[in-house]
Amino acid sequence: MKAGLLFLWLAAPLAAQSARARLEGRVPAASIAAIDSLVQVAARESLPTEPLVQKAIEGGAKRVSGDRIIKAVQLNLDQLRAAKALLERAGDRAPVTHAEVLAVVAARKRGLADSIVERVVAALPDEPRGSALHAVADLVAHRFAGDSAADLILAAVHQGLRGVRLLDVSSAAIQETQRGRTRAEALALIARELPNVPPPPPPPRATVLHARRPAAAPPPDEP
Amino acid sequence: MNPIDPKIHQALDGEIPRAALSAELRRDADLLERAAALLAAAPQEGSVAARVMAALERPLPPRRSRVVRWLLTPHAVVLRMRPVWSVALAAGVLLLAILPAPSGAPALGDEEGVAQFVARFPGARSVAVVGSFNDWRPGSIALEDPDHDGVWRGAVVLPAGAHEYMFVVDGERWVADPLAGRYVEDDFGRENSLLIVRPVAE
Amino acid sequence: MDVGGTLSDAEVVARVLGGDREAFGLVIRRYEPGLLRYATRILGSSDAAADAVAEGLVRAYRHLASCRDPGRLRTWLYRIVANRCKSQLARRPTADVSLDDVPPIVDPGDTEAALERAEQLALVERALMTLPPDKREAFVLKHVEGMSYEEMSAATGERIPTLKMRVHRAREALLRALKEYL
Repeated sequence: MKAGLLFLWLAAPLAAQSARARLEGRVPAASIAAIDSLVQVAARESLPTEPLVQKAIEGGAKRVSGDRIIKAVQLNLDQLRAAKALLERAGDRAPVTHAEVLAVVAARKRGLADSIVERVVAALPDEPRGSALHAVADLVAHRFAGDSAADLILAAVHQGLRGVRLLDVSSAAIQETQRGRTRAEALALIARELPNVPPPPPPPRATVLHARRPAAAPPPDEP
Repeated sequence: MNPIDPKIHQALDGEIPRAALSAELRRDADLLERAAALLAAAPQEGSVAARVMAALERPLPPRRSRVVRWLLTPHAVVLRMRPVWSVALAAGVLLLAILPAPSGAPALGDEEGVAQFVARFPGARSVAVVGSFNDWRPGSIALEDPDHDGVWRGAVVLPAGAHEYMFVVDGERWVADPLAGRYVEDDFGRENSLLIVRPVAE
Repeated sequence: MDVGGTLSDAEVVARVLGGDREAFGLVIRRYEPGLLRYATRILGSSDAAADAVAEGLVRAYRHLASCRDPGRLRTWLYRIVANRCKSQLARRPTADVSLDDVPPIVDPGDTEAALERAEQLALVERALMTLPPDKREAFVLKHVEGMSYEEMSAATGERIPTLKMRVHRAREALLRALKEYL
């Protein structure tokens, strides 16, 4: 345990160093120190730092003022903290993994109430929650009630569906409403179909030949 | 429409025995069943088996024409929550099954997928995709419009998972992808589009 | 010897998913006649039906992994083909189908009984095509394909009470039409 803490304490300045280097020239110079200190705080609290650096760079790319960038980074730090607290409340043992923190942040950003997020998190104690949370968020974005959306996705999980297949479940329910069904009818219909979710409509196809890779992104700071 | 005696429905649905019907009702039930039997017995000409098996052998062609056709209809530039297409594209602006890769094409890891970006910006001089996957650098992923029809496309290898992004038109106008289907606030007063890339090895 | 006749749907699906593409031919042989018959009645054209069924089967193959309960393979296939049929119908300028498209079934070498049967079939087909597509579909699935209401619900995505209502209305309309012609 002590060695782990030591590693994290040592890792904090390293995270900060790499953040400074990435912020130089990308954000207003006067804001770098403040952003940097927020990144260090995140590192010391065992929170992912990459989202904070990304948010700052995004603000710089969008030509936002230094003050607004700092505010946005602070907001995102608060979101990371809230996500970590939610995971711990829902039963995840410390240290909670960065991937799960990011999944919860994304779900809350997409409008899911904490009660719904906690419910999904608690229902999947030993596995990644990202896809399930996004699937519920897809439904909520199309005005399905949060609890009903969670009911459907958790039923799908119970029937053995995982990962991106859960997104197919929410897509199927959304499509049924676009065919004229009420949301309640759509949910009931898709629930009856589980695990046989109708195949998604054929996605556009791209030739791998023309697929490019973006410039190398920095490595994630997963502990 | 003249409703028929409910007992006919009950008999044909197996809820009551035929014997419970009067002679006249039984005649009507028989007429319907004879009609169904004729339809069932009618020989079907031809088989699609050969056609289907041949189709399964062929590699799948790009489906761009379908997307382009949709884009060029009046409801092409759609904000979220429109027809099946917006959800379909949202779910599918992510993954595409991989064609046999000719040499020179990027090899994909198990935790990677290919995202195809498609957008309609008639009159634009350049369209770039900018997002968390390329450090929000406007220059690094440019879409192409080779036939100058205003439809810009590009395919990118990305790690599986969620990515926020926007289009940058003519180097200065930042626009969320109208076809994304998923959006999150960017904390700067606007919205980013969100895509979820499916891994190749599902 | 047709070994395929002894394999369950689950075994066939497992073979296909295991990489045996040829095994999908068993699925086609098993279900193509019913699917073609169904699609022909819905679309009123054997050519259109062949397109819908062929597209549907190709799609089913490509997404076979998502049919996690092969015990319901039949209704899953009907669901896919029903969607293809609906897409075709939606693309038509009107919902009317030319009766000329209904396939002729008279063989010049037929006996008189067969000819009479052929005429009766033509009458029934004409009566069937007067029904709106949703009621036509309901009648065909119930009385021609022999599905239970539960199976019909899985194949169409509609609720059972809705399907019962459609079947009842279809019977009423068909009976009236048949009595007029006969």
